[in-house]
Amino acid sequence: MLGWETTMAKLLLIEDDREMAGEIIAELADHGFEVDWAATGIEGLDKARSGNPDALIVDRLLPGMDGVTIVEALRQDQVRTPVLILSALGAVDDRVRGLRAGGDDYLTKPFDLVELIARIEALLRRPAASLEAKLKVGPLELDLIERTAKRGDRSIELLPREFRLLEYMMRRKDQTLTRAMLLEEVWKYKFVPQTNLVDVHMGRLRHKVDDQHEPPMIHSVRGVGFILRAPA
Amino acid sequence: MPLPDFVRTVTFRWTLAVAAIFVVYVLLLFGVIYWRTERYLTSRSDAVVTLQAQIFAAEPPERQLDAIDELLRQDPRKVQNAGLFTADGHRLTGNLERLPPDLRIDGPAQRSLVPVGQSRAEMQAVRAVARKLPDGKVLVIGRNVDEVVAITGIVGEALAAGLIPALCLSIAAGVLLSIRAQKRVDEVNRRAERIVAGDLRQRLPAHGGNDSFDKLAVIVNGMLDEIEALVHEIAGVGDDIAHDLRTPLTRVRIGLQRGRANSRTLEESHAVFDNAIRGLDQSLAIITAILRIAEIEHNRRLAGFSNVALAMLVREVGDLYEPIAEEKGVILRVQADNETTVRGDRDLLFEAVANIVDNAVKFTPKGGHVRITLIDGAGKSVVRVSDTGPGITEDEREIVTRRFYRSDRSRQTQGVGLGLSLVAAILKLHGFRLTIAAGPGCVIEVACPHVSAA
Repeated sequence: MLGWETTMAKLLLIEDDREMAGEIIAELADHGFEVDWAATGIEGLDKARSGNPDALIVDRLLPGMDGVTIVEALRQDQVRTPVLILSALGAVDDRVRGLRAGGDDYLTKPFDLVELIARIEALLRRPAASLEAKLKVGPLELDLIERTAKRGDRSIELLPREFRLLEYMMRRKDQTLTRAMLLEEVWKYKFVPQTNLVDVHMGRLRHKVDDQHEPPMIHSVRGVGFILRAPA
Repeated sequence: MPLPDFVRTVTFRWTLAVAAIFVVYVLLLFGVIYWRTERYLTSRSDAVVTLQAQIFAAEPPERQLDAIDELLRQDPRKVQNAGLFTADGHRLTGNLERLPPDLRIDGPAQRSLVPVGQSRAEMQAVRAVARKLPDGKVLVIGRNVDEVVAITGIVGEALAAGLIPALCLSIAAGVLLSIRAQKRVDEVNRRAERIVAGDLRQRLPAHGGNDSFDKLAVIVNGMLDEIEALVHEIAGVGDDIAHDLRTPLTRVRIGLQRGRANSRTLEESHAVFDNAIRGLDQSLAIITAILRIAEIEHNRRLAGFSNVALAMLVREVGDLYEPIAEEKGVILRVQADNETTVRGDRDLLFEAVANIVDNAVKFTPKGGHVRITLIDGAGKSVVRVSDTGPGITEDEREIVTRRFYRSDRSRQTQGVGLGLSLVAAILKLHGFRLTIAAGPGCVIEVACPHVSAA
């Protein structure tokens, strides 16, 4: 329904608030995830080591143990499972910010459940660092060295910021990308602006990528964000 | 019997300690004076008796008896002792009854107890020398040291006369000061208890003097002023938050209630849900914004600060907002050529400048201009954002940086009303100055001091 292909990924949620956990698990199950739940840090750490989940969702504040400490403990054991930390806004410190540098991610409460799903999807499908010089999605081609773009034979003139945006989307084709993700990753913007910045920028890019008589490649996902797909 | 309160005060204890030290010091001083005086008088007596003995010994034997009588006659103060004795100790002349047994013949001047007076066998402490004369007789010359004893008496009296009143005085002063200090402490305690009980208007008593207690009271009162102001502000902010949250929440509630009663189809229900979610999102956005400001205001650590290239930052903000301005039909111009470096948190500064520009674009009507300029000044750079919007009136300039304030004219425009307070919080953290200047439209300037060469 939201546009991404559901995978039967196995997730582990470490969250002490039973009601919150229930909502998150239900939403994840709706999207085809299999979710295991641990209410404490110790239990979570055990399950993370033994259950071999594909990704972890960890609350920052857990009784007796800090969520980030769990991640650090796992990394010490060479467990590379991607992690999404849920943190209260006031508790975002350098340790939490550092997660993104390590390939993990964090979300601040209160968050949208669709944002959570999109982030998990993104974590599960982290693009491998590729050394390719060209990205291709359907007829769309991006030359990372020449900094040129074309759709079929039609070449597309892109401003640097539009190039960055398109590159990011092509690396994550068929994935729903939320506005917050785009702001953080493409613009390195660490806050939610008051204006619909992303929509305006996306509108311009879409205008250039999808010509009037071409089948559209950039799609809006209502209430969530955007997705780039090869035309059917 | 319980001790009175003042005895336990620090002032009183210090007074006692100082008094004790004072007593010891005075005793020591007097001791030294006494010791030195005694030694001086003794050595002088010793010199005199030694010299006299020498002179008498040099007299021819037939003159000696007369000379001794002469000496004693010419001694009105009766301090002189002299005696001539035969070799076996019989007195020949002088005012000594017999040869003092402890006096060493031909030794240096020494202290000796000598019997004086013909009638009574009275012993007297003297400095004396004994010399054996060539004809075998023994000559004793002595000098009374009653002077030293008298001086000791005088010193003792002076000591008593000086020390006892001084002691009484200092203890009295200590008691007085302690009682005074105790009174003030009691007063402060009473006021503090009232403040703790919630009466924030109470202040510590300051008597307008210049002593440390008054200074302390002034400082504490200053702190109390600040706390009172903050508490009022928080109370005000709380009211504002409650008000701003109530509006969307009320709408959500009414919407849900009506939807529950009136929805016939699934589509209608969905529309109701969507509306409710939008309203709740708006409430959450307000909460997020408040938390964000609190986060910035509390984050006083400067560890995250680094050198920030200001011109680049300004150009990037321009780059970000150019399409938005264009879509709105507003012309956005950026002029930032001179590369300057300031110290700060790049993300936060970006957020601040972006918020200012966001506001400018939002409030500028179609066809208007927004100009972002980086001006280099002496020791600082100024980021100026000017627009051709309605501007901010003079009365509103200070108030817009407060949480939640939104110009009444802007109520219709989308936004949470926290933009400028967020900017103010960020700039306060950096120590940068925010000025809202007059002009056609709105002119907002941020003064950023350059990184010092050091």
